Amino acid sequence: MRYRGMRSDPSPERGEAVPDDKLEVSRRGFLQGAGGAAAGALLIQPDAAAAPKARKSGEQSVTLMVNGESRDVSLEARTTLLDALRIRLEDPLTGTKLVCDRGTCGACTVLLDGDPVCSCLVLAVDAVGHEVTTVEGLAPEGEMNAVQRAMCKHDGMMCGFCTPGITVTLTAFMEAQPAATREEVQAALSGNYCRCGTYPHVFDAALEAGRELQEGK
Amino acid sequence: MARALQDGPPTEPAPEGKEWKKTSKDVDGHPVDHWILVDKDDGGPTWPARERLSLLNKDIERVDGAEKVTGAAVYSHDVRLEGMLYAVVLPAAIPQGTYSLDLDAARAVDGVVVAQDVAGGEVRYLGQAVAAVAGITPDHARDGLRALGVEFEAGEWALTREQAMAEGAPAIGRRGNRRSGRARGDSDATRAALESAAAAVEAEYTLPVQHHVCLETHGVVVDYRGGGEATVYASTQGTFTIGSEAAGTLGLRDSDVTAVVEHMGGGFGSKFGLDIPGDIACRLALEAERPVHLLLDRKGESSFVGNRSGGWQRVKAGCDETGKLVALDAEIETYGGLGRGSNPGLPYIYDAQEYSRVQASVMTNTDSSRAMRAPGHPQASFAMESILDELAYEAGLDPLELRKTNLSDPVYHRQLDRVAAEIGWSEHPNRTAPGTGDGWTATGIGFGVATWGGGGRPVCEVDVKISSDGSVTVEVGTQDLGTGVRTYVAAIVAEELGLQVEQVTPRIGSSRYGAANASGGSVTTACLAPSVKAAAWAVRRSFLEKVAGARGVDSGQLKCADGAVHDLSSAAGKLSWSAACALLPSEGVAERGKWNHKLAGNGVHGAQGAKVEVDLKTGQVQVLEMVAVQDCGLPLNHLALRSQLNGGMIQALGYALLEERVLDPELGLNLNPNMEDYKIPGSMQMPLMKAIVDEEDDRQVVIGMSEAAVIPGASAIANAVHNACGARVRELPLTPDKVLAALGRV
Repeated sequence: MRYRGMRSDPSPERGEAVPDDKLEVSRRGFLQGAGGAAAGALLIQPDAAAAPKARKSGEQSVTLMVNGESRDVSLEARTTLLDALRIRLEDPLTGTKLVCDRGTCGACTVLLDGDPVCSCLVLAVDAVGHEVTTVEGLAPEGEMNAVQRAMCKHDGMMCGFCTPGITVTLTAFMEAQPAATREEVQAALSGNYCRCGTYPHVFDAALEAGRELQEGK
Repeated sequence: MARALQDGPPTEPAPEGKEWKKTSKDVDGHPVDHWILVDKDDGGPTWPARERLSLLNKDIERVDGAEKVTGAAVYSHDVRLEGMLYAVVLPAAIPQGTYSLDLDAARAVDGVVVAQDVAGGEVRYLGQAVAAVAGITPDHARDGLRALGVEFEAGEWALTREQAMAEGAPAIGRRGNRRSGRARGDSDATRAALESAAAAVEAEYTLPVQHHVCLETHGVVVDYRGGGEATVYASTQGTFTIGSEAAGTLGLRDSDVTAVVEHMGGGFGSKFGLDIPGDIACRLALEAERPVHLLLDRKGESSFVGNRSGGWQRVKAGCDETGKLVALDAEIETYGGLGRGSNPGLPYIYDAQEYSRVQASVMTNTDSSRAMRAPGHPQASFAMESILDELAYEAGLDPLELRKTNLSDPVYHRQLDRVAAEIGWSEHPNRTAPGTGDGWTATGIGFGVATWGGGGRPVCEVDVKISSDGSVTVEVGTQDLGTGVRTYVAAIVAEELGLQVEQVTPRIGSSRYGAANASGGSVTTACLAPSVKAAAWAVRRSFLEKVAGARGVDSGQLKCADGAVHDLSSAAGKLSWSAACALLPSEGVAERGKWNHKLAGNGVHGAQGAKVEVDLKTGQVQVLEMVAVQDCGLPLNHLALRSQLNGGMIQALGYALLEERVLDPELGLNLNPNMEDYKIPGSMQMPLMKAIVDEEDDRQVVIGMSEAAVIPGASAIANAVHNACGARVRELPLTPDKVLAALGRV
């Protein structure tokens, strides 16, 4: 019976980061534990293979192109683009948010050569040679683009933690399809979760930005 | 008459010159009616008539909007300090038992600095924090967690009600696994009234455990380097709930700890105090003598920082020929894990001529429930609104009219009528009987109502300063959860001084500023806004006196308006703002404002409706439209209010259709401690939403309303599903399998 750790999962044996909740019950532990709640003491232990030997970090220096600037950054092969931006850069860019770390919520969305991607799913080394645009780089310093202005006007935010991801996604989408309908905007945002419930105001903002972008062309 | 939420006012008479004022306070996240003694009239400020307001009671753009859309807003997650370590926490993989670990093995891992056992080898609930490691990056800290080689040995557990109540179940609570609360009402009279009712129904309703799913997880950054002071950057709903607890853990004096909450990414009732992650972070920092960043990962967030309690309710209700509720009997259980859970009781906010209820909580080896936006209320609402609909259709009555028959407060009548008009109830065919369930799709409409306290009390101390260079600052230690607090703090001052919002600089989110309440129970607006108003009112008077003195006129002749100071004593007497401020002494003028009871009210009403389409072949429910009508006294910022109303409806939509913590009770596992399996509403589920601030409420006081907004939506959706096709689903969430089962298709 396969329980966890299917082939497509990241593997510590291969030096890949394994999400914590995939570690704490091993396949062996699972089989031992399959007796049920009332079966008395049972033992669950992390898979021995999942507890790596102390390993020397493989730090390396790479150059990332972020918001039009060339940035040297020291990182490991396993470092995600998200962690490179938020943690590894000398002057970190923390506008991009870490929320689910699994590509579900879209809070970490950045543009890679103009296309929105979840930076938690991109290894930083794979971004070398590509243009990375974060929320901080959507408009020149001290200015806002059409989407950002409309988000403010329509209150397309509350706590604001999803806002950078939504703003990045919407910027790419509205610039590509400024005549998009509300339904198309909904579909474009289907990878961005908001918990406070800003969606209706975000849709309003997107449509207004679209009108502005069309008039500007 | 049953009013579920109130206890009586004080019986002692108020002293001379004083009167009792009803307000509300937050007790463990529950709103409790609360009476305080206030001065009858202190001659202080009042809110201007609505037509005289130029900023408030309108749409005001968020003052920190630009920061949020450009990524400049700094949350606790984003704090970066020299030498800072990143910490991670391991939740228990078993619901009950023991564990062993090898801290030295973790400490030997490259990049790991500190490793600690957090729970002392014992596990009391599934997902309890058991170990923590801090390293130079989160990746290195996770390497350390893996190296701990944690071995869990499971004992006996109970994750469900059935397991907790089974013969030979492990003892979880000291006084048994089921704790009974006080019985209320008159059970004999209720039974008799039920027997003679014209129509009567009985049903059981079940509610899941819902997670808060704050996008910014719980946690703090502790800036402690071994000295005599510390700063805690906290993702919290209470700036002033952090300091003394952190000081206790760090061995410092309270005054040596500063709490900072510049921005925070959602709390919904779950973020008060230093909490488990904050305490762990302080302990790690104490050992490392370095700053520690500990913001939980999703697994931790789903494991040991609370949830909305689940529950079960059996309800019997009867009405007379007119739909008047003659009797209601309720048996209520709450499931709050190691906590008690919450439910304010039935008949909730409806009137029943006779009622009786018994309430109990059943403990399991799961995380304790916490306050979650209107704790207990959506649970009570779901049972109450559902049984009312069942009763209406049983009696052949219109459920909208039956609601009005049983709500004595006329505000609800006008709000329900408004919702009905907006959602098209009078043109809807299924007004006294649900649809038949024939065909491919069916459309239905449902309703619900809400109440909340939202009153204030004297806590906040607000400082407003006008400088001789014309700058205006307002300082108070409060926190902005995303509701727009920072914005109305600035706007109230700007309104008082006749300025634009951007001319006032609000400084909030630090325990170095004046005291403020924690944001629980929707009390912030009614606690804070009056204090801001009082400070602004006082500083305007001082300012005008100084300006009048410099000009040799009576201050009564001066008025702040339109960004200038108008001298009514001379025809051409108008001073620009900067010219007037230049007349101030070099230190400017500053005043501190405290709470003024005349500016705050208590008690809000809301009504909501939902229109849904049910796919009768797949059981899928699509919410087409939601309408909310909500009062709150004087609305400070309509734009932010509509945001809050939308947010309440959307969270209720998640509760109705999607959200549920899923446990495997046999294996003792949490099956969806993440965001890919625990679904919250996304853009594709969004209905057309109408968020309507009830402007017929002419109370000249401010009242908090955001919790009311989350209460009735799920009930309205469930009623709409039944109204569409006759499928009465009595367990949330209304997943397709349950809809099909209710239709008799599976």
